[in-house]
Amino acid sequence: MGVAITRQWTGYAAAVRLGWAVSSNWTRPILFIVYSVLRPVSMALILAVMYTVITGNAAATRPYLAFLIVGTAFWSFIQEGVSEFATGILEDRGRYHILKYSYMAPLGFPIFLIGRATSKLASAAASVVIVLLVGTLALHLDISPLRVDYPLLVAACLLAFVSVIAFAITLSMVLLAGRDLHGYGEIMAQFLYLFSGAIFPISVLPGPIAWLASLSPLPYWLELCRRAIMHGQAYLMFPNLSDGEVFLRLVAATAGTLLLGYVLYRMADRRARRLGYIDMEANW
Amino acid sequence: MSTAQHVQHSPLRIFLKTIAARAYPRVMAANRQKTWVFFDMAFPMVGALAMVLVYQGLHAPRQYLGFVVMGGAMLAFWQNVLWSMAAQFSWDRGNGTLELYVISPTTFEGVLLGMALGSMFTVTLRAGAILLLGSLLFGITYTAAGTLPAIGVFLLTLAALYCLGMLLASLFLFYGREAWHLSNAMQEPINFLSGLYFPVNALGAYVGGAASLVPMTLGLDAMRQLLLPGTPVFIPAGTEALLVAVQIPVFAVLAGISLRYMEIRARRDGKLVTRWE
Repeated sequence: MGVAITRQWTGYAAAVRLGWAVSSNWTRPILFIVYSVLRPVSMALILAVMYTVITGNAAATRPYLAFLIVGTAFWSFIQEGVSEFATGILEDRGRYHILKYSYMAPLGFPIFLIGRATSKLASAAASVVIVLLVGTLALHLDISPLRVDYPLLVAACLLAFVSVIAFAITLSMVLLAGRDLHGYGEIMAQFLYLFSGAIFPISVLPGPIAWLASLSPLPYWLELCRRAIMHGQAYLMFPNLSDGEVFLRLVAATAGTLLLGYVLYRMADRRARRLGYIDMEANW
Repeated sequence: MSTAQHVQHSPLRIFLKTIAARAYPRVMAANRQKTWVFFDMAFPMVGALAMVLVYQGLHAPRQYLGFVVMGGAMLAFWQNVLWSMAAQFSWDRGNGTLELYVISPTTFEGVLLGMALGSMFTVTLRAGAILLLGSLLFGITYTAAGTLPAIGVFLLTLAALYCLGMLLASLFLFYGREAWHLSNAMQEPINFLSGLYFPVNALGAYVGGAASLVPMTLGLDAMRQLLLPGTPVFIPAGTEALLVAVQIPVFAVLAGISLRYMEIRARRDGKLVTRWE
């Protein structure tokens, strides 16, 4: 039992290291950091300019700016965890031709995938911090590291990571069915963007779509992140719910995502094996 | 013993045939691959939809939705310039096509022009669909009188944008995996600097001026001024059109110089035949 766990852990750690190397060793570390933050910082600046153009940066609307910036900052986890992860798995198959070896390794394929996804989430963490720094220093948001509710933030993020990894792994298995679906991870991340409450409250969405969005864990996660960071000055998507109630909804939505992800993963996995998707020649 | 007939074609004929030959797959293959037709349209559309919802969340005036829809349509071109022009030689090198270009009796300029013309045609259809769909979905109306001048500005912008793409293609020639990351890295900052989702004058004179190096910034702003009444003026539309027109020969000449230099360097370093670095 102990040996098995040690072996799983070693395999997981190797997958994390591999993911990190593939993501980052194409350039020098400093350039990689610049590359990693360019996108989220630019996105935050786009939203800040849009906000300023419309509101004139009026004091009464400042919580909405914080809403936009915190949402954009934490969105990096989805961008990396879903889009970049799916691209990485498709590259492993089509470009580097290593996916079949990872699949056949005694480690267990899901552990390999979780390891790869973990490395993506870890590399997103730098973007989150830098966007929040830009928000604090350049946009003068009232964010203080001393006043953050860390237990709430960490608990919400851990649950969200479980959802993101489950979704990303399932999506990647489904995408293996296509020969040229490179870029579809990005599209899925964009769709999630609409449903997550990252840059606008989900109440802005038309009724049935807003209801669908409320089944996703992402709006509850981002709501808790904003509450934890903005300490009472957050623009709330769910003003009638307490922190505990939002957290409970996050737990329920995460459990649902995990269950659905597991069922779909098993189906996609069986299909991939039957039809030879794991080592199919594709893309490159 | 038979003697092989050797027909000597004029360089101009080879150049023109190269353009047609390279444009052909850009038009035909791009439409055969249904998943990519969907991707090319869905990506800018979903991005624009997100920005429309942000404006709705901010209770913005209706004209701003028009900014976003036009920006979404132009995003399709920028995306194409980055991924299918700038990074193309890098992919071609990886899959072995670049070495065929090198040994064929044609020029890189012909190949790039063919790519550009084929892409312009294909992406214009897709961008048109995005514009139509977005305008209908969000009830956006345009000034009819500005349509013809806007089409003129649009054509100038396309020409300048694809000349920039040719310049980037030569610069990306040496890149392997970096080409992907560089294209990715250039996407969002340019979306910001070109004012894809907001009026360019909001960036201020200095940032807006620097951002004007990307033809999309001035072209899009001029088209908005011509089609959407009440667009805040960054520079008058006529001046913007003139500046975009100046960018066309500048980028074209720079692309030619850069291509020559990179080709010589690549031949010297043996980089033209390196696969998937």
